[in-house]
Amino acid sequence: MDKFKKTIILLTLTVCIFSVKAQEPLAIVVNKNNPVEQLSRSELIDLFMGKYVAFPNNVKATPVELNGDHTIKIDFYRKLVGMPLSRVNAYWSRLRFTGRKRVTVFKSNENDLIAFIVANKQAIGYVPQSLITEDLKVVYILNE
Amino acid sequence: MNKSGLVIRLAMFIIFTALIVGFITTQLFTRFTFLNEQALSKQSINQLYQTVLPTASIASYLGDKELAIEVVNGLISNDIITSAAIATDILMVESDTYEKSAMTYEFILFSPFQNKRRVGTLFIEANEDSIRRRADKISSTNTFVVIIEALIITIMSILVTYYVVTRPILSIGKALHSISPGTSDRIDKPLSHEESEIGQLADDVNALLDKAEQQIIKEKNLRGEVQVLEARFRMLFENATSAIVLVDLDGDILLYNETFESLIEKLKLPLKKNYGRYLQNLFILKKEFNEQINIACNNNESATAELELISDRQEKIWVQVIVTCLMTDDFQRNYQITLHDISKRKKQIALLDRKANYDGLTHLLNRQAAEQNLQNLIITSEPFALIMLDLNGFKPINDIFGHDAGDDLLIHVSAQLLKSLRKSDILSRWGGDEFVIILPTTTRTEVINVCEKMMTNLIKPLYLPTHDKNVFVTASMGVSFYPDDQVELLELIRLADKAMYQVKKDKANDNDVYLAFTGDVEN
Repeated sequence: MDKFKKTIILLTLTVCIFSVKAQEPLAIVVNKNNPVEQLSRSELIDLFMGKYVAFPNNVKATPVELNGDHTIKIDFYRKLVGMPLSRVNAYWSRLRFTGRKRVTVFKSNENDLIAFIVANKQAIGYVPQSLITEDLKVVYILNE
Repeated sequence: MNKSGLVIRLAMFIIFTALIVGFITTQLFTRFTFLNEQALSKQSINQLYQTVLPTASIASYLGDKELAIEVVNGLISNDIITSAAIATDILMVESDTYEKSAMTYEFILFSPFQNKRRVGTLFIEANEDSIRRRADKISSTNTFVVIIEALIITIMSILVTYYVVTRPILSIGKALHSISPGTSDRIDKPLSHEESEIGQLADDVNALLDKAEQQIIKEKNLRGEVQVLEARFRMLFENATSAIVLVDLDGDILLYNETFESLIEKLKLPLKKNYGRYLQNLFILKKEFNEQINIACNNNESATAELELISDRQEKIWVQVIVTCLMTDDFQRNYQITLHDISKRKKQIALLDRKANYDGLTHLLNRQAAEQNLQNLIITSEPFALIMLDLNGFKPINDIFGHDAGDDLLIHVSAQLLKSLRKSDILSRWGGDEFVIILPTTTRTEVINVCEKMMTNLIKPLYLPTHDKNVFVTASMGVSFYPDDQVELLELIRLADKAMYQVKKDKANDNDVYLAFTGDVEN
């Protein structure tokens, strides 16, 4: 009986932790020296899906994101375009043969990603809100 | 074949209808097929659109020319698409022959990531020629099928009409042509039409033929009876010994028989249409006969008269005329006139009359006739003289030379006496050798003259060839006058007789005496 109760509590907790993590908003951030103060959702999509390679002020933009199937990455695309990562990957695969060059820079973890943004004035990337630092400028908060 | 025959008419009608229906059907079907093909092609184009949609929307989203060309080329490689184009804010990719037209379908392209964000337009032009060609191909097949169907229906209708309707009717008609009403011929029912309207028609025709036959037989029988009757009537009429004539009110002859014809022939008259009212020009009409006819007509009786026909023949023709008034059905008055020849009877009567009133030997009036004449004169109170004449010397001649000689002598005497008389005088043989002479309205002197003349002629001798001898007689005559001597006939005769005997008595003294008057004889 105790065992059963324990299991339920554990499960409930796990779910709670998971959901807390998932519900944490993602912040779209740029170098703090970047003059761009704020971006619209469409501008964000256009930058990350390869339509534009520059900020609205015509300054070159370099999107940076996580490698592979990172949870944050999955969460980001789900929130931004409402697509699973696989479809986003398929989109890029389709474009590979048209000769279109992808300017996105890939980083293996959040820290590297943040470091790249801090180091590059034209970089733009996404981090959980909790990881925001002084060196980053939030231009958009990606909620559910 | 008859131009207005049922089969031709029906064929014309069906062909005409089939043409119209076929035309309409074909037109409708062509239109329908075209629309259907159009819809089908639209559907195909839709499917193609769905196929190229992700790529096309990515191309539009990114403004990627290469990707857009890929999409356009992919689309126009289909038969049903003539040309295609993708237009975005910054890009316009189109195939060589692209031109916006009515057949161009327009699809709005949305961003692959934001389904409300319009990123471009996809234009696809359907291949109308291809659609039309396919529609035409299907339609022509359909037209052919419709024509074949119409042809089959027409042929079948004509065949059915011919075999089911026209031919049986024709066979009935043909049968009717060869049937003469009144015979026992009947129409056969056309095969497999026992219960149909045509069979009914045949039945009705046969019923009509039955009726006609019965009627004709009835009429034939009736006609036969009428003919027999007519023949009998004709025989009766034509062979009647009496002439029968039917005339109308004006005397126009309506009908006559052979006897009448031969009667006219006998009269040596031309056969005319009219001989006057009741044929009155044919006979010596008595006035009262007209009246008699009128009375008879009013009393529904016949008027009868014995009349002499007008004829220049020696022999007179007497007929009994019977006139009967007839009223025709339309109330016209006709006369039936029967002329019965009674000449023979008249002759016989005349002969009998002669036998009764005349002396067979001398052909003079006999005593009875003479008496009748006297009576008549007395009845009418006509004065006359009666001469009683008796022959003298007749008996010895009769005895010596025989009766034949006596008879001859009597005939001779009669002739001599007759010669001596006037026309109005009557001579009769009273009996044996006695004669009575009647002289109407006369005088004594005249009587004397007549008697003298008679005496003179009387004594002329008669030659008897058998005896080669001349013989002669004298006579004694007594005269009495009516009404001077006597008014009673028998007495008058007796007085004359007495006077005559007085003469005979006086002859003994004076041979020349031959005449005595009653008034001179003493009673």
